[in-house]
Amino acid sequence: MEIRKSATAGTLESSDVLVTVAPGSGPGVEFKVESIVIKQFGKRIRSVTEEVIAATGIKNAAIHVQDRGALECTLRARLETAIARAAESA
Amino acid sequence: MSGEAFGWEERGLAGRAELSARSALLRSRGLTEPGDEDLILGLFDGERLVATGALVGPVLEGIAVAEGVEGEGAAVAIVSSLIKQAVGRGMKQLFLFTTSLEAGRFEAMGFSLLASTGSKGVALLEWGMDGIERWLEGLKARTFGKPDGAAAVVVNCNPFTLGHRALIEYAASQAPWLYIFVVEEDRSLFPFKVRIELVRRGTADLRNVTVIEGGSYIISSATFPTYFIRPTAAKGGASEQAVELHAALDLALFRLHIAPALRITDRFVGTEPYCATTLIYNKMMKELLQDRDGDGPVLRVHEMPRLEKNGEPVSASRVRALIRGGDLDATKELVPRTTWEWLRSREAAPILEKIRNSDSRH
Repeated sequence: MEIRKSATAGTLESSDVLVTVAPGSGPGVEFKVESIVIKQFGKRIRSVTEEVIAATGIKNAAIHVQDRGALECTLRARLETAIARAAESA
Repeated sequence: MSGEAFGWEERGLAGRAELSARSALLRSRGLTEPGDEDLILGLFDGERLVATGALVGPVLEGIAVAEGVEGEGAAVAIVSSLIKQAVGRGMKQLFLFTTSLEAGRFEAMGFSLLASTGSKGVALLEWGMDGIERWLEGLKARTFGKPDGAAAVVVNCNPFTLGHRALIEYAASQAPWLYIFVVEEDRSLFPFKVRIELVRRGTADLRNVTVIEGGSYIISSATFPTYFIRPTAAKGGASEQAVELHAALDLALFRLHIAPALRITDRFVGTEPYCATTLIYNKMMKELLQDRDGDGPVLRVHEMPRLEKNGEPVSASRVRALIRGGDLDATKELVPRTTWEWLRSREAAPILEKIRNSDSRH
């Protein structure tokens, strides 16, 4: 999959997560994670994000994860949806 | 998607009835319509408008939630939708003005505070992956090894004149290093690329200056929108208040983030003979950057009298007025050789033509 444009999935509402995916400025996938529970779950959020990125096979993207206490299944769904939207041709 | 869970419907506002419901909602919250909106969203409970928010360029404005539905997630729903729409339009970085009291609510939504004017004042926040920290890292890398105690000037240079040159030459003689920030916003008659190129050419002989693009954080349409719109109301009117508010945030941001990152201790500025907005900005600069109680390092502000030629201050607006009046030759004694040569170049012709046909202040 190739990231062609910017797209989001999710919201900033409590128990949700807003994922923003944009074409990257260099090779590789760069991501930034913010969370209201970064101390407890920061590592897990990062590893889930890396896992989804690897599974989709994208190579060049900037991904912003703003977590508001989402469940892991929500995070996965938001990541997959945002990446799929960003990979659609405009 | 709590919009659906709560039975709220989100849509872009259109038509007289919806827009007047929005005006009433904003008024009931003590807000006015921002104007120039690119998009106005509403959240409806049946036929009742419960929340609204708008996008004006990269700035989220006019956000209000109806009385009785606060705390139910309407604000965060409307902000999430505005972000989604803005990202869909290719924006990477968003800004939001609010009161200092409300700033915490938006920080909890993932916005970061850029500057505030005290606990009873206003605050400017940003959203996005590439925030000010990243911009400052880039600046630090570019200015690595430059001396402490540097000076700074912020200039638009529309175009670069002998007045700018005199200010820069003086500031560079007084400090170990001088950073020249050029306002990047492309709202001026001379495009940014031309303005910064003429600053570079006109200061190439000075060994202790660095010319820097102003980006989003130095007098941009995000941080200082009223700099680019002609104030309409008379002195003391609402527009003067708005200018003061934006100027205060711009200066707070400079003092809190930019000055410490580049180890700037002094700011130089020319006296302002013509422009009311710049006059307010200069006045507030002396107050806010030198205030012992403000956040960030205390800076020294030096206001230099404008260079005069034939009893009149040399300014870019005078140069533009001469061009507009068809007297290009008269600008020769107001600008450095580098600017003069450019004005006579083929590249300048369409811009000179645009100036002759314009009545823009900038």
